Amino acid sequence: MCAQTETLDTEPDRGAAPIRLDGLTKRYGDVTANDAVSFDVGAGEIFGYLGPNGAGKTTTIRLLLGLIKPTSGSAEVLGADIRDRRALTDVKADIGYLPDSLGFEERLTGRQVLDYFARMRGDERREELLELFRPPLDKRVETYSHGNKRMLGIVQTFMHDPDLVILDEPTSGLDPLKQDRMHLFLEEERDAGKTVFFSSHVLSEVQRVCDRVGIIRDGALVALEGVDDLLERSGKDVRVQLAAPVDEERFATAEMIDVEAVDRTVRFTYTGEPAALLDHLVQFEIEDVDIGDPQLDEIFKHYYGNDAEE
Amino acid sequence: MTAILRVESRKRVRGSVILVVVFALLSALYFSMFPGIQAEMDVIEEAFPAYMFDLFQIEELHTIEGFIAAEIYSFFWVLLVAIYFAYVGAGLISSDVRSRKMDLTLSNPVSRESVVLQKVAALWVPLIALNVGVPIIVYVGALVIGESFDPVALAMVHLLSIPYLLVCAGIGVVLSVVVDHPRTARAVALTLVAVLWLVDGVSRVDPDYERIGALTPSRYYDQTAILVHEEYALGDAGILLAAFLALLAVAVFVFTRRDI
Repeated sequence: MCAQTETLDTEPDRGAAPIRLDGLTKRYGDVTANDAVSFDVGAGEIFGYLGPNGAGKTTTIRLLLGLIKPTSGSAEVLGADIRDRRALTDVKADIGYLPDSLGFEERLTGRQVLDYFARMRGDERREELLELFRPPLDKRVETYSHGNKRMLGIVQTFMHDPDLVILDEPTSGLDPLKQDRMHLFLEEERDAGKTVFFSSHVLSEVQRVCDRVGIIRDGALVALEGVDDLLERSGKDVRVQLAAPVDEERFATAEMIDVEAVDRTVRFTYTGEPAALLDHLVQFEIEDVDIGDPQLDEIFKHYYGNDAEE
Repeated sequence: MTAILRVESRKRVRGSVILVVVFALLSALYFSMFPGIQAEMDVIEEAFPAYMFDLFQIEELHTIEGFIAAEIYSFFWVLLVAIYFAYVGAGLISSDVRSRKMDLTLSNPVSRESVVLQKVAALWVPLIALNVGVPIIVYVGALVIGESFDPVALAMVHLLSIPYLLVCAGIGVVLSVVVDHPRTARAVALTLVAVLWLVDGVSRVDPDYERIGALTPSRYYDQTAILVHEEYALGDAGILLAAFLALLAVAVFVFTRRDI
């Protein structure tokens, strides 16, 4: 989606960033779960927080919500310092949170769960959301599938019409149709002025919905850029099936990385222009071509090195 | 802000009903036995060594008050109900943290103090259910076999047990915020309450341990004194209540400062 900032290394120029991290650090003994993470999330943007599982995404989110205390550094959420418990509790009326692992009261029905949260922070958009996401409200949550739980979680996150939503792997467990619905819904919410913090380990999903992306690896922020730039820099995974075995020397170009040729199949990551690649390929007798998005790990390997220390 | 109190109260209903039913069955058993063995109680009282009676605070077994105090209150109430409260208390916070329910709960505009207090306040359900249901069962049971209870003493044996049960719950709640694993918290809580009860019993028998017994909650609740002698130790109940509030304060203090 449209990256709205052109000078990507500078922070969006917005008076009050809904989320502002300043050297946020969390250590558990020798393990540094978050290492001096700093970035701002601007009002009205969908900010993708991308990283492999275990990179420290959930730690950042739990720090922002005051569930755990930072070892050093700080952060502000809707203007409240996360170290100020009272201020943070107050602004939570305007925050929606969808955790990666949904801990509902299992014996309650979906409706009772929503009633429970409604008593604490309102539910003016409940009915509207239930038309988009339809968990079986009269059944007990313990009987829910993963996808139904996730939908109940989505309704719970948005039903009090918060200014800021924090989503931790929001589409996990949803079928592709519901994922699309969720992505579309997020774009509409963003256009209506909501700020969305979207954590995910799925590159294609972040590419699709997010305006800007922060990439976290081993607890450290390794990149912060517009989603278009990320796409340009990430290259494509290409697999070519040739009619006959080919000499790798002759086939490879400077834009190809990690070329692996086995018999008549060649795999590589392509970092150049798509048109140039197609021009190059037509010189060979080709049976099949598969061009896809690279794995997140591949991007890390090629563009951020294996050492994520700053 | 009573959303948590409501949901927590609902969660306590089933256990409370089960406990009342258990007491109804136990009462039926003991009341049906009493007329038959009442005459032999003198023999029983002579047959067992005195320390057994001291240990369980048993007196006057041949009266209905002494019999019920011994059979229902000195064991089932003072130990098993206490263990139930310690067990429930120990699960209040730890199990929610473990299951990540606490993440969602605390994403609401509700303070951690309020979460602890509402969860503890939900113990009103078993407290009321047991302390209303069981005395009615005991009172009616006595009437059915042609005996009668002093209703004031019966009411007091329950009223004064509330601070005692709250202290046991408080022990559980403190463990619930300190120990990460709900299973461990529950196991430690119920073991601790059982050990404290035993220590109290032993300290009554052996004068050398008398002073250690002062640290056990059951020392401040004497069901036999209430039922048989109609002695109502309000000061002791006050001590228990203060201890409960202190435990609650410790739990809130720890919970508001820890990572979850």
